[in-house]
Amino acid sequence: MFTFGQTERQPRIEWLQLLAMLGLMVVSVLFIYSATHARLVDSIPWHKEYFLRQIFWCFSGVCAAILVCFLDYRSLSRWSMIGYWLMIVLLILVLIPGIGTMRGGARRWFDFGVFLFQPSEFAKLAFIFAFGNFLSRPVEELRAPSIFFKALGLIGLPFILILKEPDLGSALIFIPTGLLMMLVAGVPRRFLIRSVSIVSVLAALFLVDILFAPPGWWTIKLEDYQRHRLLVYFGKDFAPPNATPAQKIAAKKLQDEKSYQGRQALISVGSGGLTGRGWCEGNQTSLGFLPPGAAHTDFIFSVIAEEKGFLGTVIVIGLYSVLLFTGVRIAGQARDRLGKVLAVGVVTMLFSHIFINIGMNIRLMPVTGVPLPLLSYGGSSVLCSLIAIGILQNIYLYRRSY
Amino acid sequence: MLVFDQLNKADRHLRLVSWLIAGGLAVLLGGLWWVQVVRSRQFAEDQFNQSYRTVRVPAPRGKIMDRHGVVLAENRPVYSVSLYLGDRSWRQSVLAHYKAGKDAARRVGAKQRPPSAMEKVLSWFGDEPSLVQLRRLSRDEETALGRAARYTVTSNIVAQLGDILGQRLTLDVTNFHRHYHNSLVLPLPVFQNLNAAQIARLQERGLRMPGVDMEIQPTRVYPRGTLAAHVVGYMRASVESSEGELAYFDYRLPDYRGFSGLEYSLDPVLCGKAGGKSVQINNLGYRQNETSISAIEAGRDLTLTIDAEIQRVVEHELARAVLPNGGTVRGAAVVLDVRTGEIIALASAPTFNPNNWIPGISREDFRAYHDTNTTPMLNRAIFGGYAPGSTFKTIVALAGLEAGTLTTQQLVRVAPNPRDPAHGIIYVGQQPIKDTAAPGDYDFKRAFKRSSNAYFIEHGLILGRDAILRMAGLLHFGERTGLPLAQDSRATLPTRDWLQQRGLPWRDGDTANLSIGQGYVTVTPLQMAVAMAAVANGGRVLWPQLILATNAQDEVVDLSARSGVRPHLREQLPVSARTLEIVQSAMLADTEDADGTGRAAKVEGFRVCAKTGTAQIEDRTGRNIDVMNWLASYAPYEAPRYAVVVMVQSGKSGGETCGPVAKGIYEALKKREKKLLVAQGSGAAVPAVASPLAVPAGGSSAETAKGLVAAVPAAPLKDLLTH
Repeated sequence: MFTFGQTERQPRIEWLQLLAMLGLMVVSVLFIYSATHARLVDSIPWHKEYFLRQIFWCFSGVCAAILVCFLDYRSLSRWSMIGYWLMIVLLILVLIPGIGTMRGGARRWFDFGVFLFQPSEFAKLAFIFAFGNFLSRPVEELRAPSIFFKALGLIGLPFILILKEPDLGSALIFIPTGLLMMLVAGVPRRFLIRSVSIVSVLAALFLVDILFAPPGWWTIKLEDYQRHRLLVYFGKDFAPPNATPAQKIAAKKLQDEKSYQGRQALISVGSGGLTGRGWCEGNQTSLGFLPPGAAHTDFIFSVIAEEKGFLGTVIVIGLYSVLLFTGVRIAGQARDRLGKVLAVGVVTMLFSHIFINIGMNIRLMPVTGVPLPLLSYGGSSVLCSLIAIGILQNIYLYRRSY
Repeated sequence: MLVFDQLNKADRHLRLVSWLIAGGLAVLLGGLWWVQVVRSRQFAEDQFNQSYRTVRVPAPRGKIMDRHGVVLAENRPVYSVSLYLGDRSWRQSVLAHYKAGKDAARRVGAKQRPPSAMEKVLSWFGDEPSLVQLRRLSRDEETALGRAARYTVTSNIVAQLGDILGQRLTLDVTNFHRHYHNSLVLPLPVFQNLNAAQIARLQERGLRMPGVDMEIQPTRVYPRGTLAAHVVGYMRASVESSEGELAYFDYRLPDYRGFSGLEYSLDPVLCGKAGGKSVQINNLGYRQNETSISAIEAGRDLTLTIDAEIQRVVEHELARAVLPNGGTVRGAAVVLDVRTGEIIALASAPTFNPNNWIPGISREDFRAYHDTNTTPMLNRAIFGGYAPGSTFKTIVALAGLEAGTLTTQQLVRVAPNPRDPAHGIIYVGQQPIKDTAAPGDYDFKRAFKRSSNAYFIEHGLILGRDAILRMAGLLHFGERTGLPLAQDSRATLPTRDWLQQRGLPWRDGDTANLSIGQGYVTVTPLQMAVAMAAVANGGRVLWPQLILATNAQDEVVDLSARSGVRPHLREQLPVSARTLEIVQSAMLADTEDADGTGRAAKVEGFRVCAKTGTAQIEDRTGRNIDVMNWLASYAPYEAPRYAVVVMVQSGKSGGETCGPVAKGIYEALKKREKKLLVAQGSGAAVPAVASPLAVPAGGSSAETAKGLVAAVPAAPLKDLLTH
């Protein structure tokens, strides 16, 4: 089974992509160190140092990715529906108080004592596999509306469960990923155009309701923090127009508090300038303006941007573009439609993360808890990203049947 | 690059995916370009604004010294312990305290809860969960716990410091929280004014404690206390910036501004230019480090013409003047160098201690210093106006002798007072004016030394008020003396303009009053001293001077090489030498003759020329309510060097109340001259003109004086401020 085509001239592995991955991992460890080295408590055990833990996660992730490559993606996809439903069960379990753990108002994790496990990260991978498997049926079947609605159901189920946690950012990832996978698989365009329009209209209505509904009207029920983030992003006042002065002051204070993270991230990125302050020289983290809990996770990009400036961020984006475009190339070289759809799914998922995360650092996007693949600290995120790259390499590795 | 050929792929779906990704990344790059390159400056500024605070640091203030370098006002380092909150270990202990407090608080009213499903599973593996349902704390409770933790940790450190210093120290709760919220960037003052032992103990043990710092702050000190307090002035805490320095600071270190005396009027010279530092803070406002943003310029030192030793004696003698009804002495005394116009001493009683305003004045002191009866803050030597009484007869005499209406031989017969035959009386119109001198025949000298009112009223009426006022005007009565002090009043010379402005008539009675220094006319002791100096020095009316020199604080000054001030001539009296001679010898007779009113001021070997004065102060109904006692004098007769004027309110009479004061002053002057001569090692006899106390520049010849007329500055203050 493991006859790695000795007669082939072409490389068996996409080296360029692996180099970009390695580069990103090095950057990640360096800047997690920079973001956490100036801490209040300095005598923590070495195994709790974030950058060391990140190295461990990178190592585990690379192992997981290699493991993924041992089995042909087609064999893997046979089990995908089981994986999908398993994930759905986990996503339901995590919502149950007493099983899932609350952090910062959201119930997203299983607490295993030594580490936290975030099922939504792995749900993305399980979804991509299951959805790719589902779509790799004959093109004629894909033209049937019933199949299309089934596909929408497959997207909608994890989307709604993750939205319930609540984790709007992670839930949103499913929409572009699912749509592009359907497009590449050959789902008729009219279906897609229609569903995109419907989603856009719904989103627009949702926003109008949140932002402009006069007091007393029916509004969509949202978690307070989600409402606040959207209001902050669109620059709307928290206070309703008929608020008393005292309420207005309280609302203003709350607004400052809520827009604090985003503002500080923007200041970090902006004050980096062209060349930055230098590694470990950033003021925003050492002075604590970037919240210590978020600097090495969701806001790692602003740390890099402050310390390495525009040149540094261009390099990061360059590394990501190598990662993504080699992914698209792998999709083009895949032996079958399943491989192509899977590769596009993985690339789209990674790209969505990158766009949402960097976008929120420069106020292009509202602040949501979406990690930056490979750069943000976090076991689930790193494992998931590396397994995703493993899948791409798997597709590349088995692009021909030998 | 090879990877971007995906954009031209034949597969249109993948081409679309590639373009979407390329577009997305391009949007991110564009955004980053906008934020990091185009708008970078603004964000860097935002970052600076949120992480730096500026602090104003006052400059070291110039010293004030007497003519021999004796310090009257200086800055002393005050050592104080302070605590920088937000130090790492401080924050760690606060955090520990906070957590402990929170745990304890959460246990209050805690309930048992059933185990969760996960915990049940885990308990199979021997992981027994704690089933205590802790109470959730409200935000207010958490805030209160945080406050309590900060205070506890800080007050523990303060108590520890107290142990080290051997001093019970407590931390005031409200002060602490105020400091925490308003000026976290600055250190928290813990204890001020450390003594030497405490400094040593602190350096040995205390400074190793986290956040503990010893601050050295220059504090204004007046080492001689009340000495020359009215000249030196005092200071009050201030939050103003002066010209030429950064106007806005987030915080200010304690600073003081002169509020009276030279501290006030020469504040721009003394205070220098404050500097600034910027303190980097973190998101909680704790100090991280400091950099200086503008340099401090030290203020300049001031050397006065005052002689501290003489000033001390003057104040001492003045304060112990004998009052018939007892009570606090209210009065003033001036010692002027008749050759240069230098003020050797300028005293006012009662006085105050400028140290009492640093750092702030107590309620009792404030009340005592603002007593409306004794008014210690008033510089009586130059401020206000006091009826000169018979001392003004000197001016009448000068005018009369010069006009020729008064001659030395001419006699005036004074009738006895029918009700009091021992004293004379004179009628002006129908109005009787009592005399304190006996009735009988008076020539000039007798009238002068016995201070006969009748004689001078008679001659004043012959002479007319305009001639008297002209002479007084030439002596610059009714005008400011031009000292660099804010309390410099004109007093009153009732000229025609002055009367017209107030719509007052002028009657013969007023001329009679003017002739004996009563009625509308008032003077200040310094004005009188300037007039005495003019009588003594050959008719030269000089600007009185108070400032000998200013110099930079780090400049090394050779006191022996410093020359005295040049006399600034204000007016040359058009009075003949003979007239002056007559007045001078009459003044000498006043102290040396047995029947002279000023005989109490007689000093052995230092011939004093004087004129006494006792002015009755009447209220509107004509009742006597107070007495102004004067002794205006100069000495020595042969080679005049000093003019001394003593004024005491509510005394008995000029001679009896002020005479002994003046005598004490002259004796001190005599001793001081001798001592300084010996110190100089010259051993020679006292030179006729130059004395070591006041080294004249240019001598006393009339030519020099005339040459100076054109160059006389109206106010020496201006020169000082513009250099």
